[in-house]
Amino acid sequence: MGYGLRDGDLHRDCEPGEVIVREGDTSREMYVIEHGRVQIEKRAGDDRVVLASLEKGDFFGEIALLGGGPRDATAVAVVPTRLLVIQAGGLLLRFRRDPTFAFEMVHKLSRRVSALNEKVVGLLEDRPEASDGVAQLLSFGPDRRLKDPT
Amino acid sequence: MKLEVRCERMVVISDLHLGNPYSLAGRRLGEFIDHWAGQGYALCINGDGLEIVQSSFMALASDALGPLAALRRVLLAGAPVYYVVGNHDIALEHLLDTWLGEHISPFLDVWSGGARVRIEHGHLYDPFFVRSPRTYEALTRAVGPLLHLYPDVYRVWSWYQSTKARLRSLYAKDAVSPYHEAASMLLARGFDAVIFGHTHGAELLELDDGVYVNAGNWMRSSNFVRIDAGAISLHRWSDGHLLAGPTRGERNSMVDGQARGG
Repeated sequence: MGYGLRDGDLHRDCEPGEVIVREGDTSREMYVIEHGRVQIEKRAGDDRVVLASLEKGDFFGEIALLGGGPRDATAVAVVPTRLLVIQAGGLLLRFRRDPTFAFEMVHKLSRRVSALNEKVVGLLEDRPEASDGVAQLLSFGPDRRLKDPT
Repeated sequence: MKLEVRCERMVVISDLHLGNPYSLAGRRLGEFIDHWAGQGYALCINGDGLEIVQSSFMALASDALGPLAALRRVLLAGAPVYYVVGNHDIALEHLLDTWLGEHISPFLDVWSGGARVRIEHGHLYDPFFVRSPRTYEALTRAVGPLLHLYPDVYRVWSWYQSTKARLRSLYAKDAVSPYHEAASMLLARGFDAVIFGHTHGAELLELDDGVYVNAGNWMRSSNFVRIDAGAISLHRWSDGHLLAGPTRGERNSMVDGQARGG
């Protein structure tokens, strides 16, 4: 692992197999892949599930930066990888100087939310008995589903 | 809206300003579009394709007729056409959206031959536009009627831009062009090449992390950028002939088709 500063930006070089962030960590920075490949994994019981394989230009870690809380997944470098490391202040400055990055982030996050919504609907269609639990999860508390007036 | 596409072969043109009295793009663009679409290239218009700020809708409609017919032929043949919005045509975004649908966007990221290329008009990095967008637009609009009376008044703006660039290179050698600085920022986050327009000055430059190209203009020039399996080159379309520019990786710099030393 190696860090370096260039033009005010912090870069991190990773070896293949190197864990960049670990699930449960409380670090807050986000990463943009300059080159290389990163795998996002999550624990599921005793197993590890691969959630995504990311390549240059993709970013990860933004949930911890924007929302706080522990990391909800582990990121591992698959090949020699260089990352741009961004903290909250740096992100705001980058939005000012590189406004399309903000647009890209919102675009990708919107697509992720849309994909999750589709998965939830698919889950409800496959397992109607789970609808109560899912509805409670989505409303972050008591069941606030719209009641059918009929 | 498509912000990212995979495309091995594409030609990129900027700043056609169809409808602007100074622009000759309407006379030559149809032939260019037919030629490259016939070769299997996708087309990207990188902003300020249509002029609405300095022109009337009537002038735009008559000037754009030929190129729009060529674009229609391309679209009907199933070839992709992408349109990146600039500052002179942003008012037409809704209109273009009904025509081009998801192929109109504020920027476009192209995967070609393993390379990731950003295509963006570039006005967001123009210090004057960013500092005072209203003044910028007001001044741009104010010149419009003058252009209709005497189109060559546009040469004053071109002269001002080139003189400013020359003075900067003479007296502020360490000053970095805001466009090169913006391109460097983009290259540092996973792009291999960045293509801007807006300045009207065609330019290809190797920066630390990749290639910066400005696609120039079609008002009195006819520059275009070719993307071939990730290789980037800058050319001028003149009487149907190509003036080849340096390709990606040759460590060269060039302005408007002419090799520049260093």
